[in-house]
Amino acid sequence: MALSAQDKIMYVANKLGLSTLKDMQGSTGAVYDVDTDISGVLFSNASRHQNPNITNLTQNEFEVNEALLIETISFYAYQGNTFDVLNFQAAYGSDAVIVYDLIIGNKRVMKDTPVFAAGSPYTFANTGQKLVPGFTDPASAFVPRHQTYLEGAGILIPPQVQFYIDFRVFNVRTGAVITPTDQNLIGCYLFGTRVLLNFNTSI
Amino acid sequence: MSQISKLGYVDSKLGAPSSGQQTTRILFNTIEAPGTTSSLVFFTSFQGLTNGQTNLTANRLDSMESMVIKTIWLAQYTALGELRNFGEDSQQTLSIIVGNQQVVKDLPIQFNQGASGQAFDRLHENGGFSESVGISEQFIQTVMPMEIRLLTDIVIPPQVAFEVRVQSNNVAYGSGAAAVVCALSGYGKIFSAGNTF
Repeated sequence: MALSAQDKIMYVANKLGLSTLKDMQGSTGAVYDVDTDISGVLFSNASRHQNPNITNLTQNEFEVNEALLIETISFYAYQGNTFDVLNFQAAYGSDAVIVYDLIIGNKRVMKDTPVFAAGSPYTFANTGQKLVPGFTDPASAFVPRHQTYLEGAGILIPPQVQFYIDFRVFNVRTGAVITPTDQNLIGCYLFGTRVLLNFNTSI
Repeated sequence: MSQISKLGYVDSKLGAPSSGQQTTRILFNTIEAPGTTSSLVFFTSFQGLTNGQTNLTANRLDSMESMVIKTIWLAQYTALGELRNFGEDSQQTLSIIVGNQQVVKDLPIQFNQGASGQAFDRLHENGGFSESVGISEQFIQTVMPMEIRLLTDIVIPPQVAFEVRVQSNNVAYGSGAAAVVCALSGYGKIFSAGNTF
């Protein structure tokens, strides 16, 4: 990342007039949610979801003086009845693709971004084929990662601003829309540098 | 020069707007039923493709948008949805043309994938391995897509046509419901009036 995470947080905070954000506790964090309604929207309905099975949020915004600088966005599949987290490729096949938007407040900040089930352009994470000498078939299958590594600058979710992800699943070969089922729900992590509320005084 | 500085530098040289939402941009384009051919050209045909096969409608970015290409990603799928090594084991070269200028020229890509992999610039990190031994199919993926990290930032300015060409010698990329996909990933700006997050 060309800008440091802290620089980016301070830059946006200054622009938004958040003068006390710099005094808060810096940390690392991730938030996640699953689209249990099969509505193509993540995080909007987090307040209705079980914690921590489905989400670790109680609403789709952070409280006063808390923020998250998103540095990686990743997707997974989720089995609704067993609460098992699955790999997206293993659940949907190599030719599936998620195309998503990230919206913060009233603004779309990530636009029509693809995450390929075969393994996305995930920066520094490619790998060769693993073969066992003497055998025709590979010894094992890959379980690719499904993430967008945010290039250049992360994206800040400021305090008290709602955020959500709009997504659809397609077959990249045929272009057909794939509708998730209860057995193959779609979940998402937003991972990055976190700002946590710190009173700096005793309460 | 950082990618942010480079994008600002090129945009200013061209008189393009430098404001906008900073973001990560991934453009992709699919060629259906590529068949056996010596030349694939991505980002020139959008007819009949859905939003799951491309996220552009023309081979250029909008007037207020630009991006820096950091990574080129290529994938080849069989008619059954199985991921294969791109171009199988054949030697291929890749070029990127922006406007009338060739900005990546005959870059060999075979080194970066599959059983012939000779990593020049990769920092290896496996996504993970399933221990089950099986024949490759749609749900058991035994290869990975091709991915090349560029060492130099390549800028696609606003409203300038671009394309990606892959040259080979009669390689079978698949027919019927088979497809090949190219994605360009990097840092970009999308139109936005107001503060950037």
